[in-house]
Amino acid sequence: MLVSALNIVINGLLLGGLYALVAMGLNLQYGVARVLNIAHGEFIMLGAFITWAMYTKFGINPLLSIVIVGPIVFIIGFIIQRTLFTSLRTSAPSQPAFEGSSMLASFGLLFIIQNVALIIWGGDMRAYSYYNFGINLGGAVFAANRLIALIFAVVIGIAFYIFLVRTRIGKAIRAAAEDPTTAGIMGVNINLVLALCFGLGAVMAGLAGVFLSMCFPIYPVMGLEYLIITLIVVVLGGLGSIPGSFIGGFILGLIGSAVSSWQPSLALAAYYFIFMLLLIIRPKGILGK
Amino acid sequence: MSILEGEGVTKYFGGLAAVSDVDFHVDQSEIVGLIGPNGAGKTTLFNTISAAIAPRPGVIRFKGKRITGLKPYQVCRMGIARTFQSVKVFNNMPVFENVRLGSFFGTATRMSSAESAKEAEELLDFVGLSAMNTTLAGDLTLVNQKRLEVARALATKPELLLIDELMAGLNNTEVAQAMKLVTSIRDKGITIFMIEHVMKAIMGVCDRIMVLHHGVKIAEGTPQQVATSQTVVEVYLGE
Repeated sequence: MLVSALNIVINGLLLGGLYALVAMGLNLQYGVARVLNIAHGEFIMLGAFITWAMYTKFGINPLLSIVIVGPIVFIIGFIIQRTLFTSLRTSAPSQPAFEGSSMLASFGLLFIIQNVALIIWGGDMRAYSYYNFGINLGGAVFAANRLIALIFAVVIGIAFYIFLVRTRIGKAIRAAAEDPTTAGIMGVNINLVLALCFGLGAVMAGLAGVFLSMCFPIYPVMGLEYLIITLIVVVLGGLGSIPGSFIGGFILGLIGSAVSSWQPSLALAAYYFIFMLLLIIRPKGILGK
Repeated sequence: MSILEGEGVTKYFGGLAAVSDVDFHVDQSEIVGLIGPNGAGKTTLFNTISAAIAPRPGVIRFKGKRITGLKPYQVCRMGIARTFQSVKVFNNMPVFENVRLGSFFGTATRMSSAESAKEAEELLDFVGLSAMNTTLAGDLTLVNQKRLEVARALATKPELLLIDELMAGLNNTEVAQAMKLVTSIRDKGITIFMIEHVMKAIMGVCDRIMVLHHGVKIAEGTPQQVATSQTVVEVYLGE
């Protein structure tokens, strides 16, 4: 009993770290750039496949892929925001109109990225073995690669939070999240800051993909599944709250792990139940303002 | 010499001219008032100057350089700062950080962290908010939020400050304090262009006053001239 409880908690934390990372990325894109990026999961997939390809073709250590995947997805995200979403933003008559059109455009992005991935890599499931041995913690057994993923996710999450609080660009991001127009009038180059946010959001998804690929099988259409979970985490933690997404990720991970241990096929249903409950009881989320 | 000039500045919203063919100028070290009934286009005119919206047609020049078509952050860095009619402080950031944002991004040259901290402390002291450094801006009273907006705008080291209704909703003592604040900003060498409804204040501090009505400039002159102008009296009191 105690061991199975420990198993649930450890599994939940391992899963939650990845959820937290992806959700912080989406929160940056939606909370600041106001783009509800349906293609967010595709950046996870890109990160995962680049890592897999690098490892299986060239023998590059998956953890080293961080420095390859990071810049690639950052540049893709940055360019998408500067071209597609900036023009949508300037031509939209109002904020809600922009949120609508940008979400629809991101649906398009989802299929474009997914189809390109299918052409390059085919539709098969892929996996590789990296640090795939068991660690025994008080009776609970889990793969070493999952612990690596959790540690990296936590370190990246905390580093990003410090970046937001401590640096000038971080302050500009927080100001832009509250009121982009006023931030612009106070001297912040708003188009640049939004593109930076979108790029950084993509980086978090991409890096989560790197870690995911070490632990789970990957396939080109995997993005949507993670996007759905991420949306729930963002709402749970509170829109615009980076710490909220971080905490929310772990909470959802724990819930998922608990439900899965009882009835695996009900995990997603449980997420959605919580999601709907939350929309009714506390639509702002845990740390939302 | 004029620090700010506008020629034929016009802005339509739908079919309605919010500002219509307005020529204006503000001279170095002047305090110029902009008055007019609600909906006269005063804030819209300010928005065209701070590049929040683009005039069409019309040209605005700052220190002889055309600023029409520039981005808001560029105009800010050239030396034009502003406050807002409906207060727009960053609610979730402490008072001190609000001011620092102006000095980090709004100044023409990059400012070191230590310089900007010192500057922010001085400015908060100048507007009388030094005791509230760490308070979240959203928790301040309206009067203090307006003062904070002034400090934040000054942190960008402007040569021209646009003040949009600093005194609305203030009591008599607070209005007197705000008038003193405005003159002491000018004494720092900063030119001021201000929208104000409180007549006592506008008559007391301005060197010159412009009157807008339905987006059209209907009068301009010294406070004395404007106060005795037949057209202005008709607009304000009805015919």
